[in-house]
Amino acid sequence: MKRIFLVMMSLLMVFSCALAAEKPIKIGAVNPLGDITGDQATKAMKLAVKEINDAGGVLGRPIELIVIDDEMNPAKGAAAIERLATVENVDFFVGGMGSGVHLAQVPILKKYQKITVWIGAASHQAEIAMGPDADWYFHLHPWDYQQGEGYGVGWTEIVHAYPNVKIEKVFLAYEEGAFGTDSYTSYIDLYEAAKRGEGSWKEILKEFKGASFKSASLGGGDYRAMLNQAKAFNPDLFIWAGYDADAIPIVAQAKEVNFQPPLFVGAPPGWPADFGKNPLSENVILYGMWAPTLNEVSPVAKHFYDAYVEMWKEEPATYFAPLGYTNIYFLVEGIKKAGSLDKNAIIEALRTIEYESPLGEVLKIEPSRIIKNQGFKYQKILQWQKGRQEVIWPLELATTQLVYPFKFGK
Amino acid sequence: MKKTIFPIITILAIVLLIFLPYFIGAYLLHVLMTIFIYMTLALSWDMMLRTGQLSFGVAGFFGVGAYASIITCSRFGFNPLVSILFAGFFVALIALGLGFAVLKLRDIYFSITTLAITMVFSVIIRNIPKLTGGASGKVIPNVIFNGDSAKTYWLILSLALITILISEMFNRTKIHFAINSIRNDEIIARSSGINIFGYLLFVFIISSALQGIAGAIYTQQYGFVSPETTFSLDFLLLPMAMALVGGIYSTWGSVIGALVLGFASEYLKLIMPYGHLIIYGIMIVLIILFLPKGIYGTTKDKIITHKIEKKSLSE
Repeated sequence: MKRIFLVMMSLLMVFSCALAAEKPIKIGAVNPLGDITGDQATKAMKLAVKEINDAGGVLGRPIELIVIDDEMNPAKGAAAIERLATVENVDFFVGGMGSGVHLAQVPILKKYQKITVWIGAASHQAEIAMGPDADWYFHLHPWDYQQGEGYGVGWTEIVHAYPNVKIEKVFLAYEEGAFGTDSYTSYIDLYEAAKRGEGSWKEILKEFKGASFKSASLGGGDYRAMLNQAKAFNPDLFIWAGYDADAIPIVAQAKEVNFQPPLFVGAPPGWPADFGKNPLSENVILYGMWAPTLNEVSPVAKHFYDAYVEMWKEEPATYFAPLGYTNIYFLVEGIKKAGSLDKNAIIEALRTIEYESPLGEVLKIEPSRIIKNQGFKYQKILQWQKGRQEVIWPLELATTQLVYPFKFGK
Repeated sequence: MKKTIFPIITILAIVLLIFLPYFIGAYLLHVLMTIFIYMTLALSWDMMLRTGQLSFGVAGFFGVGAYASIITCSRFGFNPLVSILFAGFFVALIALGLGFAVLKLRDIYFSITTLAITMVFSVIIRNIPKLTGGASGKVIPNVIFNGDSAKTYWLILSLALITILISEMFNRTKIHFAINSIRNDEIIARSSGINIFGYLLFVFIISSALQGIAGAIYTQQYGFVSPETTFSLDFLLLPMAMALVGGIYSTWGSVIGALVLGFASEYLKLIMPYGHLIIYGIMIVLIILFLPKGIYGTTKDKIITHKIEKKSLSE
């Protein structure tokens, strides 16, 4: 009788251990599934999870990804975190796009203090809301102020690399909403710093001017007054910060008023799907974290691109796709290095790993102005050439030479 | 019998709602909090509609309340609860001032003007960045009750119950006859001695103040404001849809509409991660098309018709 009992107990223990080993590590993602950024980021996350699970998982356990749509609504995004934490009992939080949604999620994330690796929310307000004490919070997307600094670094290096390029006068055309106004405010700060001989623009920026316009996506679409102001200013670098709906009409109207600055830069959060096919796109410069042409210089980028196309039968069109892929891999690399699910060990591991990402650069964590764990610092400078987004800067990732000065496509 | 059953059910429901945080998890509590906020907005919008005035200013007063609360908290050190009360008072004052101008307008002119007021509020907020944070908004270091879900729930529940109480007072006192009369025919109302402007102003101030308080609590719950999210037309369109789905010109219509749409939205999202918003939209359209008086209005009509038929059969 005693022997049977012992055998049964042993079997029970083996069975429980086997069950525990099989129990998945749960990652909860909150993304806007109705938007291309959230949709493609989610697909890329699923691709990463599939690859990791096919390779045997992490710590001998499979990964389970639970995705909830935030509908780009702050209250929904906050409720999604509550659900993931209390109903789904996830171990980690990932995902995210909009700053407005993320600001509402911050108090809930602080309540649970689970390790969070976030790929969206560029607004510095999100950093202020998170505060300096959240050592469990990792933010991968560059903050808005870092992006402005990054462009200064990039243009300065371009000026050094291309002796014929001159940038002294910068004109910023910004849409009158929060996105554009924020861009203008950060450029004003950078200009003031440059005048004091500080900051990344100090070597190049001598004069700066801005003018607002009403975005076509918000009922506007006539940019002629703003373009004429820009033409009168005669800038070396013209930047517009608006939305995808402004992309084609702004170039068309610039051509109409014969405003052809040497560098014509568009900085919308996303571009129209077929912008590259429009002849007006030729030689227009854009800011972004990724371009499909990175496949030519980065094996990781190529692997990601091919695997994504094979799995989803569509091409990744936004940098949130490789960023979503990075989101999962970076976290899993941290867990692997920590060797357990111990929170402090994973935080320490994530701070020290260097992950070669499909965005073409190595992801490593450094402090930003407020938080301790910031990932990428800068965006890239890209240029539309023959319908392709070519990388111009960082110079070590450049896929081609800058076409300068800008000339309208025929 | 009927007169005793209804208060008992009401008291039991209130007691159940008060003790709910001890039985349900943080997620469901969060969903309920959002539903109660929208319920308050739907009911306050419907209160104004009962006077015959279709207001599109809900998001505007909601946003001003949110900003008033967060600014008094962060710049003047107000206690969050005091800042919420101040926000209600401040919005009521604005409504009083605006009321003298906009309540002289009727129909589409009133509606468009109230919508324009929302835009004006948003533009003003964007253009005083030192006070409001401008386009990028403002955050506060700590949310109300340090993020305690139960306490926040009780605060929001109190607001929803107060709004229901005010709405029922509007339905059960002489205000009901006055505003019904104004909605049906202003000339007859005036000839009956009803102070039309006075009643309109009173309802406008009360409904706006409730919207302002809702905005203040919402912003204290999440700890931030920004023109884009705080003045979002979601705070106008969703409450309107809730009132229409539940049934307008009644308290329980908005309550039912908020519960149905609030839970449906969450449930659909969970069972259908992609495309749930399409189903949600179709659901609203179908209910409004086939139940033009809303769920409550149609059900009430059917019950009354059934009773009349039963009575006539027995006679």
